[in-house]
Amino acid sequence: VSVLTRSGPKADGPTSDGKPDVWFVYWIFPGFYAAFGVIICLLTRVTPPPRPDITTADKIAFFTEHRTTMQIGFGLLLILLGGAAVSNGIVVYHMKRMTVGSVFAYGYLGGMAVGALPGFLLVAACFLTATLRVDRNPEVVGMLYDLGMLSYNGSLGCFSAAYLALAIAILYDKNGIFPKWFAYVSIWQIVTEVIATQMFVFYSGPFAWNGSIAFWWSVVVFSIWLCALIALLKKATAREPADSPALD
Amino acid sequence: VQILEEVQDLPTAGNIKAQWVSLWTAPAVAAVLLLAFIAFPGFWPPMSPQLPAEQVATFYGENTAWIRFSMVTFNLCGILILPFFMVIVVQMKRMQTQSHVFAYCYLTAVVSGATVFALSNIFFLVAAFRPDRNPELVMVLNDLAWIVFIAPVGMVVSQFLLLAIAIYFDDGPNPVFSRWVGHYSLGTAIIMIPAAGAAVFQTGPLAWDGLISFWLRNGAFALFIVVIFFVLRGTLRRQAIEEGVVEESAQ
Repeated sequence: VSVLTRSGPKADGPTSDGKPDVWFVYWIFPGFYAAFGVIICLLTRVTPPPRPDITTADKIAFFTEHRTTMQIGFGLLLILLGGAAVSNGIVVYHMKRMTVGSVFAYGYLGGMAVGALPGFLLVAACFLTATLRVDRNPEVVGMLYDLGMLSYNGSLGCFSAAYLALAIAILYDKNGIFPKWFAYVSIWQIVTEVIATQMFVFYSGPFAWNGSIAFWWSVVVFSIWLCALIALLKKATAREPADSPALD
Repeated sequence: VQILEEVQDLPTAGNIKAQWVSLWTAPAVAAVLLLAFIAFPGFWPPMSPQLPAEQVATFYGENTAWIRFSMVTFNLCGILILPFFMVIVVQMKRMQTQSHVFAYCYLTAVVSGATVFALSNIFFLVAAFRPDRNPELVMVLNDLAWIVFIAPVGMVVSQFLLLAIAIYFDDGPNPVFSRWVGHYSLGTAIIMIPAAGAAVFQTGPLAWDGLISFWLRNGAFALFIVVIFFVLRGTLRRQAIEEGVVEESAQ
C-alpha cells in the first residue's frame, strides 16, 4: 500500500507541510528512544530494574553475568546520549512557538539539560565502573549498584520541573501547538516522580525502586506520555507552515 | 573591532560587543585550562587503567598538591568556556534558511555536556582529599573520575554534529559559516566517538590513557576551539560590517 501511495505523490490529501530541518530533528526523537529502549531493556538490564533487596554477592553476580552486554549497551549510550539533547531541543522549539513566549521553553530546556547527568549518565558511569573491575572490593561494587540504580530511577526534580513548565505552557497557549489533555498527562508525570521519592526509603514492596507503584506505574505513565509526545510533535511539526519566519 | 560612534548605543552594536567579549574570553580560558592540563601529573603520561589500587593511592598521596591545583582550576574555570559556545548558538540563530531548531538542540547539548565536565574533577579532588583512605576507595574514585572525564562523548559529539547539520542546512546566498566548517565539525565529531571505549577497555588505544581515547579525543576538542575561534572572529567581523556597526576598512 505504501508503494502505491508513494507512486502518486501529492495526489490527494493535505500536502505534508512543515520545515525540513524540524522534520530532520523530529525523526531523531523516536530513533533515539528506540535505541534507548533497546539499551536499557535488553543490553544493560536496568529496566525492568534488578532488585534493591539482594545481597552484595548477588549484585556482583548481576554485574558478572551481564558484563559484556552492559559494556556494549552503556558504551553505546555514552555515544548516543546527545539524542536526549536533540529530543529535548525539538520540544523546546515547539514550546517557543506557543503564545506564551520563551520563558517556559527555557525552563523546560534547563530542567532537561541538567537531568541528563543524574538521569542517564551517572548510572552509565557507575555500572561501567563496576564492570571495569568486577573483582574489586565487593562493598564498593555493591555501592556502585545502589548509586547507579537510585540516580537512574530516583532523579526526580529535574524532570518534574521540565514537565511542570511544559504543562503550564500548554494550558496557557492559544496557538494550540499541543492539545490541552497533554498538559494533564505531563502533570501525571510529576505525580509519579513525587511517588517515586519513596524508593529512597523502601527496599522491597510497591514503593521500592522496582515496585509496582514507584516503578511500574511510572513506566506506564511515562510510556503514554512519550508515545503521545512523539505523535503530537509529528502533528505540530507538520502543521507549521514551511514559510513561517524563524523564531526569535 | 572599533565600533562606530554614531551606532554605539544601538542594540546591534551591543549584540556585536557582547559576542566579541564572549569570543575573546575563549583564549584566556583556554590558556588557563591548558595550564591546568599541563600541571596534572596524571596526564604525563596519562595514568594507566591497569595500575593496582596501592599504586593509584600512592599517586594521589605523592602528587596531592598538583592534583588539587589542576583540578580546582578545571573546577573553577572549565565552565567559563560556555560563553564561547554561546557565540556559536547566537550565530546558529542567524542562519536564515532554517527554523533555528538546531540552535536549541545545540544549546541543550552544550549545557548537558558542561554538567558532565563539571562532575569529573570532583572525583579527582575527592580522591586527593584523603589519599590515605582504603586504596580500594581511592581506586574507585579514580575510575569514576577518568571514566566521566573521557568516556561520555555523546553530548559533545551531538554538539559537533548539530553544528555541521545546521551549516549544511544554511544553504542560502549568505551563509553564516563556510561549508568547510561543517565538514570540519563533522570530522571532529567522528574522531571523538571511539573515546566512549575508555569506560570498557583497560589496554590499547581505546583505554583512557590510549592514543585514541586520550590524545586524539582531547586534541581534537582543543583544536576545534582554536579553529572555531578564528572562524567566529571572521564571522563576527562580517556581521558587524553587514549591520553597519563597524566600517569596512576596519577589517
